[in-house]
Amino acid sequence: MNKNFQEMFAKAKQEKRGSLIGFATGMDPNYKTSKKILIEMSKHCGAVEVGIPFNTSTSDSATIMDANMRAIKAGANTEKIFKLIKEVKSEIKNNVPFLIMTYMNPVYRYSIKKFAKKCKTSNVDGLIIVDSNNNSPEDKELSKELKKINVAYVKLVAPTNDEAFIKETLKKCSSWIYVVSYAGLTGSKQVNLGNVKKISKLIRKNSKIPIGVGFGIRTKSDVSKVIKIADATIVGSGIVDIVGKNSKNHNLTKKIGSYLKNLKKGLNKQR
Amino acid sequence: MKIPPFKEINPPNKNGYWINPKTKESYGGQYISPLLIPNLQKVEKCFEKAIKDKKFMKGLEEKLLTFIGVNTPILRSTELENLIGGARKVGKIYLKRTDLHHDSSHKPVNSFSSCYMAKHIFKAKKIICETGASMHSRSVAAACAMLKMDCEVHIGAVDAEKVSLNKDISELYGAKIVVVHDSTKSLLPAMASALRSWQSNPDAMYVVGSVAGPSPYPRMVRTWASVIGRIAKQQFKQITGKVPSTLFCVCGGGSNLMSMAYPLLKDKTEIFAVESAGEGIPTGRHGATILGGSKMGILLGFKSKVVMKSAQIAESLTEASGLDFAAVGPEVAYLHDIGKIKFRSTTDMEAKKTFLMCCEKLGIVPAIEACYVINAAIKEIKKRKNPRENHLIHLCGSGESNVARMIKFKRENE
Repeated sequence: MNKNFQEMFAKAKQEKRGSLIGFATGMDPNYKTSKKILIEMSKHCGAVEVGIPFNTSTSDSATIMDANMRAIKAGANTEKIFKLIKEVKSEIKNNVPFLIMTYMNPVYRYSIKKFAKKCKTSNVDGLIIVDSNNNSPEDKELSKELKKINVAYVKLVAPTNDEAFIKETLKKCSSWIYVVSYAGLTGSKQVNLGNVKKISKLIRKNSKIPIGVGFGIRTKSDVSKVIKIADATIVGSGIVDIVGKNSKNHNLTKKIGSYLKNLKKGLNKQR
Repeated sequence: MKIPPFKEINPPNKNGYWINPKTKESYGGQYISPLLIPNLQKVEKCFEKAIKDKKFMKGLEEKLLTFIGVNTPILRSTELENLIGGARKVGKIYLKRTDLHHDSSHKPVNSFSSCYMAKHIFKAKKIICETGASMHSRSVAAACAMLKMDCEVHIGAVDAEKVSLNKDISELYGAKIVVVHDSTKSLLPAMASALRSWQSNPDAMYVVGSVAGPSPYPRMVRTWASVIGRIAKQQFKQITGKVPSTLFCVCGGGSNLMSMAYPLLKDKTEIFAVESAGEGIPTGRHGATILGGSKMGILLGFKSKVVMKSAQIAESLTEASGLDFAAVGPEVAYLHDIGKIKFRSTTDMEAKKTFLMCCEKLGIVPAIEACYVINAAIKEIKKRKNPRENHLIHLCGSGESNVARMIKFKRENE
């Protein structure tokens, strides 16, 4: 397991709480503001997930698609997002793990080996590729390369997947597994706890890997419900929404900070 | 009339890849959220079951013959021959009249077959599809009307304006139209939008209009569409005693190319695919994925040659909505890379002039997409100067939806 994620889960366990993972698209709305946003997020989140925007994404709701387009307009590319994360990590001076979330094309075009190496040199702790299929040659190469350098390869499982698929996914997944709570796009529906329970049971049957749940978690009460079942919860569209609506507001980071502070109140595992 | 049976001659491997034996490069695959993997597996199972199910295939073929009218004629065009010196100099030129299909293009063959499978084997109540020139959506909507299924069409905002006739016909057939304002506002974001919608409606079936998308779509679409080529091959042999010396098809994503080329892949026929050179390939404003020198990329669930700017999918720019696709299907890229299909191009201006020429000299209103291929074929055939050759050009669609733009072009240039 990646050391920073290991510490994050261990500390949360000790404090009898779950972990909050915040997502924002890198360079949304621009490099400078995005840097401030990520620094603010690192103060409140157990881990920070940074999106490398892709203009032909197949799983994002309009909220994230708009963020992708804002970031691309601001000149975002793979190289700059790596630079952004590296700078943020050197400034925050703690071990909050940072993950990259993207699609296979930016990774494939950058070269898989080079991308994995760059993760290491930019202090990226993990990687999520939404459209990476277990059977693709790129997925095989990527999981091998990331294993070598101890960067987490966080894979997604969805309510439509069966046990065979989950088992196959667990073989490649490292540090934690991402459970998609409903059939739909990021942030387009309410979290589906029935689905989360069903998939978590299948995962637990086969592995002790920590479980993170994403899609449809926006409020303190959502966080609280999810954390009763899972180890971590991912909040994305809620944050990106604030960025979209306040991209020119100088209180933007403050607004994100208070949103996250409130969500954190739902992390306690004890009733 | 009986449709000649399908023979699989170039299957992908079990993970949906075509592998180049020389370079080991893989084309195709399934790059998609895990959410859709079970759906894709179901589509594949249904497809395998469908093509082996004699009763299903008999029912489908009857509808293809009587509803779509797939048995369109092959027309010898002495008019085209005479434009470049006559048959004695350049050989004989034939046009496969796919423009005479129900809903006026090659699209209904795949659309109807996919919807028929969705209804009877997948048991879906709703169809989701994307569209560029709206030929696909129009034919999917027609199939859904006949088969009593709901239909949801995703179309880019730019295309919605360009081809409003086909869009309106889709609506008349009862389709719900979703206009997509993302990125290039054309076919590519429309397809991404349709895929996203499928994730929220996993009980529906997604019907792809090109030989693209995640596996099994590229194989399934070309298999259904190849009915056109199977019939054409049989007709051509009856007319000339041989398979064609050359075959010319236009290529956006590649569905119309594969519909004709697939049954001829093992024959001596030289196959030419024609891309849109837009304002000219050197200007960078074109729709020529292969001739523009595109690299391998991954989008919309598959790996193939993709027009990109850095790691982002770039705009493909062409007058023809049906060719406005920043990639070619994986099997098409593979067949190009192994040297089986050669590529040529036509600019938008050449295509528009060819459109007027076809109207005035052939008495045919072709789809603007078909004008790219007619233009490139004439240039190539003239160059070959071989009187013994028999050339086949795929007149892949009719141009009613281009009329408003083309009459303006004619008047401006008179």
